[in-house]
Amino acid sequence: MLKILLPTIMLVPTIWITPAKHLWSTTLSYSLIISLISLTWLKSSTESGWSFLSPYMATDPLSTPLLALTCWLLPLMILASQNHTASEPISRQRTYITLLTSLQIFLIMAFSATEVIMFYIMFEATLIPTLIIITRWGNQTERLNAGTYFLFYTLAGSLPLLVALLLLQNSTGTLSLLTLQYTPSMQLSSFADKLWWAGCLLAFLVKMPLYGAHLWLPKAHVEAPIAGSMVLAAVLLKLGGYGMMRMMIMLEPLTKELSYPFIIFALWGVIMTGSICLRQTDLKSLIAYSSVSHMGLVAAGILIQTPWGFTGALILMIAHGLTSSALFCLANTNYERTHSRTMILARGLQMVLPLMTAWWFIASLANLALPPLPNLMGELMIITSLFHWSWWTIALTGAGTLITAGYSLYMFLMTQRGPLPTHIISLDPTHSREHLLMALHLLPLILLIPKPELIWGWTA
Amino acid sequence: MLTRISRFGLTLPRLLYNPPARFVSQSKANSATGSTAMTELHPEVQHSGHGEVSPYVKNPDYHGFSSDPVEDEWNMKVGFFFGISVALVIGGTFIHYLPDHGMRQWARREAERLIQQREADGVPLIEENYYDTNKIILPTAGGQ
Repeated sequence: MLKILLPTIMLVPTIWITPAKHLWSTTLSYSLIISLISLTWLKSSTESGWSFLSPYMATDPLSTPLLALTCWLLPLMILASQNHTASEPISRQRTYITLLTSLQIFLIMAFSATEVIMFYIMFEATLIPTLIIITRWGNQTERLNAGTYFLFYTLAGSLPLLVALLLLQNSTGTLSLLTLQYTPSMQLSSFADKLWWAGCLLAFLVKMPLYGAHLWLPKAHVEAPIAGSMVLAAVLLKLGGYGMMRMMIMLEPLTKELSYPFIIFALWGVIMTGSICLRQTDLKSLIAYSSVSHMGLVAAGILIQTPWGFTGALILMIAHGLTSSALFCLANTNYERTHSRTMILARGLQMVLPLMTAWWFIASLANLALPPLPNLMGELMIITSLFHWSWWTIALTGAGTLITAGYSLYMFLMTQRGPLPTHIISLDPTHSREHLLMALHLLPLILLIPKPELIWGWTA
Repeated sequence: MLTRISRFGLTLPRLLYNPPARFVSQSKANSATGSTAMTELHPEVQHSGHGEVSPYVKNPDYHGFSSDPVEDEWNMKVGFFFGISVALVIGGTFIHYLPDHGMRQWARREAERLIQQREADGVPLIEENYYDTNKIILPTAGGQ
């Protein structure tokens, strides 16, 4: 575990002592080497599930894919931010990369924590760098409002979790995941127990975000700089799904009846946020709402509590992490050229940036879950396990996938096809950096097709 | 007064004249090679206040990494080498050759082989008594 964590921590002094000229190339290659080494986590040699066990940290098949995704995302964020921070003073560029690195440190500790309370602390700690990234490096003044929404939604959701965890510590005597999974299920019957159940899950449902508690997400995504949007969509939302899966094993007897309203909310949210996407004018907002829609499916898959539901949720989380991050990068390439997120102002880009259109095409198809991609595998497993639970869900999930296909095509056609608006008179050609960025997003997604057992989670 | 200003008549156009950023030969290309110099496509904007100077003016091989041409190319090479050649190729090879965890692939292959063999032999795929009944010690009805 430390073989990744220590190099990541040592990246911070590296950022500050590297000569200004080589700052970006050094941090990029350094973080790529870290992410290469992080793949060794995927070699699990134990039969008990937990590998790389130390007193505080361990990995298991659930956390390993998310850890690898976290490590993979730092070089991508560095690559994506290179252009828009180029005009800033060098010390501010260093601060920016330091913030991104600190986010990776917190996320590694959150995903690999064996104590739930350490997970909680790291879960909260990720708020700070993210808030600074949004409110300091965002583009519009609305970023302050978005920062407030982001902070207070997440904090208000997670304070009950702290109380719930302290209560759990009191009753079971431990908060270690290694022992909690073997404790006998608790007798939960009173109204206070139901409140405790809600307290355990609320933080994660807000972070996911569940439809109804999702308002902070489009704001934060729209106002954040590209690296902020990428890490929010790719990893921070998955913190919610991961936390839910970890807590679920302790909440066993109550969840069966109490999860009804949340499953309904999640599935209703798939349809509603999908419909919102269909009438969206703002490109980044569209991608953000599509994240809410996909994460609704993930939340339903987790709440259904079947092995297939869990596996599908994990597959969809990883696949969606890469896809939505890629879409945000594409949106950013448009934004850096036209300085507008409004889709109607930048149409017909296939005429001027044809190679970028190829990336848009692949990313849109990944977003609407094209057959061999892991996105479809995840969605199918969740939809199947939901269907097994109740036939009526097929109406919601089926309509949801239809709308997903609809708005993905709408986004592709709106930005790429048709005539070029007359006001666009000069656009920069695409850079090698942007093609590298897209390749590093989409190639792993394609490479995951023949090796899905990496992201199967516990069933693998 | 006017005569004094008129004396600038000849020098003023020369002062306002800005040389192009790069002295690329812009002689008309002969028929077949209709390539245009980068400076023609992206003329350097001299006095625009919003800093929209195309980086291609300074560096026609701009890769989007840095305004310094040397560092730009270096950063591009480092990015492609560590991103594609190292992380994806070496990492992908490592993952491809990961050991068969829990012998699941072996079990699958073994099952397929057994099924083919049993079908060829015409025996049922699985015995009705999978375990040898003689070896199973059942508790007697009496309890002891």
